[in-house]
Amino acid sequence: MKILFKKALIALVAVSSLLTVPAFAQQTVKVGMSGRYFPFTFSKKDVLQGFEVDVWNEIAKRSDYKVEYITSSFSGLFGMLEAGHIDTIANQITITEARTAKYAFSVPYVIDGVQITVRKGRDDIQGLDDLKGKKVAVNLGSNFEQVLRKHDVNKEINIVTYDTGIEQDVALGRADAFIMDRVSSVQLIKEAGLPLQLAGHPFEEIQNAMPFLNKPSQLAIRDQVNTALAAMRADGKLAEISNKWFDTDITQ
Amino acid sequence: MQSSFDLQYIIELMPILFKYLGVTMEMALWGFLFALILALGLALVRVFKIAFIQHLASLYISFFRGTPLLVQLFLLYYGFPQFMPIFVGMDAFTAAVIGLSLHFSAYMAESIRAAILGIDKSQMEACLSIGMTRLQAMKRIILPQASRLATPSLMNYFIDMIKSTSLAFTLGVAEIMAKAQMEASSSFKFFESFLAVAVIYWVVVIFFTRIQHLLEKRLNKAY
Repeated sequence: MKILFKKALIALVAVSSLLTVPAFAQQTVKVGMSGRYFPFTFSKKDVLQGFEVDVWNEIAKRSDYKVEYITSSFSGLFGMLEAGHIDTIANQITITEARTAKYAFSVPYVIDGVQITVRKGRDDIQGLDDLKGKKVAVNLGSNFEQVLRKHDVNKEINIVTYDTGIEQDVALGRADAFIMDRVSSVQLIKEAGLPLQLAGHPFEEIQNAMPFLNKPSQLAIRDQVNTALAAMRADGKLAEISNKWFDTDITQ
Repeated sequence: MQSSFDLQYIIELMPILFKYLGVTMEMALWGFLFALILALGLALVRVFKIAFIQHLASLYISFFRGTPLLVQLFLLYYGFPQFMPIFVGMDAFTAAVIGLSLHFSAYMAESIRAAILGIDKSQMEACLSIGMTRLQAMKRIILPQASRLATPSLMNYFIDMIKSTSLAFTLGVAEIMAKAQMEASSSFKFFESFLAVAVIYWVVVIFFTRIQHLLEKRLNKAY
């Protein structure tokens, strides 16, 4: 009797493990984002949302992934990627030479340009040349600092890095201008209600994509993300998400 | 600036922030518990001048007092996993608790040591004369008195620790400071968001200061 009971128990365990395995087969992908880059990733009434969240929800849906969003301050995101705490970063990461040397990028999903923004009414700044001797704000850990330094060969621009609130300081007049990508600059001015305006035309096309570690397991995710992104581009889903947040297609 | 103070926004934000106060307090309470255990060990090692280990304890205290908490957190969460894969599995919350414990134990060890040294030497001598071991004397006579002396400064470190948990957002822990920053990034109401979070920290600290007073009253009963 006892043996029979044991056998039944073993059979039960075996069957139940067979039943539960497929349910857990759905791979969880951990996506890191700052949660502080409006309107790409932000929190409103305690709901994480934005362009990046919509894009990744769609990728997950098409790839049968379960997506887990990890929010961390921007300066910590690459550390988390390196340390394996997250699989990729969805935070408008610009493809640069230094980064391509180290990471495997997905196909670009946002095409943009570098934009100067100033306080409303200031017409003395129209382009890079006008930034000489001015105090220009950039976000700590973003690549706009390098972009600026590349153009600023004679070190004539006073570049200041901020952890938060660069738009505030330019609106207050503490800094002369801030550098960000065009899309979020437009959005900032529209939504913030701060007295800001775009200065001149954007320069340097930039391509934004998602970085992955150069490891077989991570490259497999990258390839799947590329497949999903290509399909989303083909059937117009990517453009639809872009229009929802920006009233324009920033993915082309 | 044309934007005016928005009290309504603060009232709406408060319940959202309160939901994450639990994470903040959990970090602080676990951190303080582990820090207290570590600190007591370190203090005893130094008071008893245990050969060799006392130098390790000094080195430990020197390092964790001598480097910023943020640097220690980054080392723990971003640095170590590159060399020791075992650290990859550690989640951000755990890393924050470990970082806070290690950091504050160094400070707390010194104030516990000071409290122990504040008990007159004659008491230890009296204990030894009636046949207690040094450890027994410490447990029965010295530590109960030292705990009274150490309470105010240990509470100081606890309060400091509550506020230091705000650094955990750099590791990706969603606590109240993180939420305040994320909400502010879409509403652009920086003043209101940070004022709300400041008020919450303040109220929490006032609450624990009250507890400290009650605790001190109890400990002072015999005097």
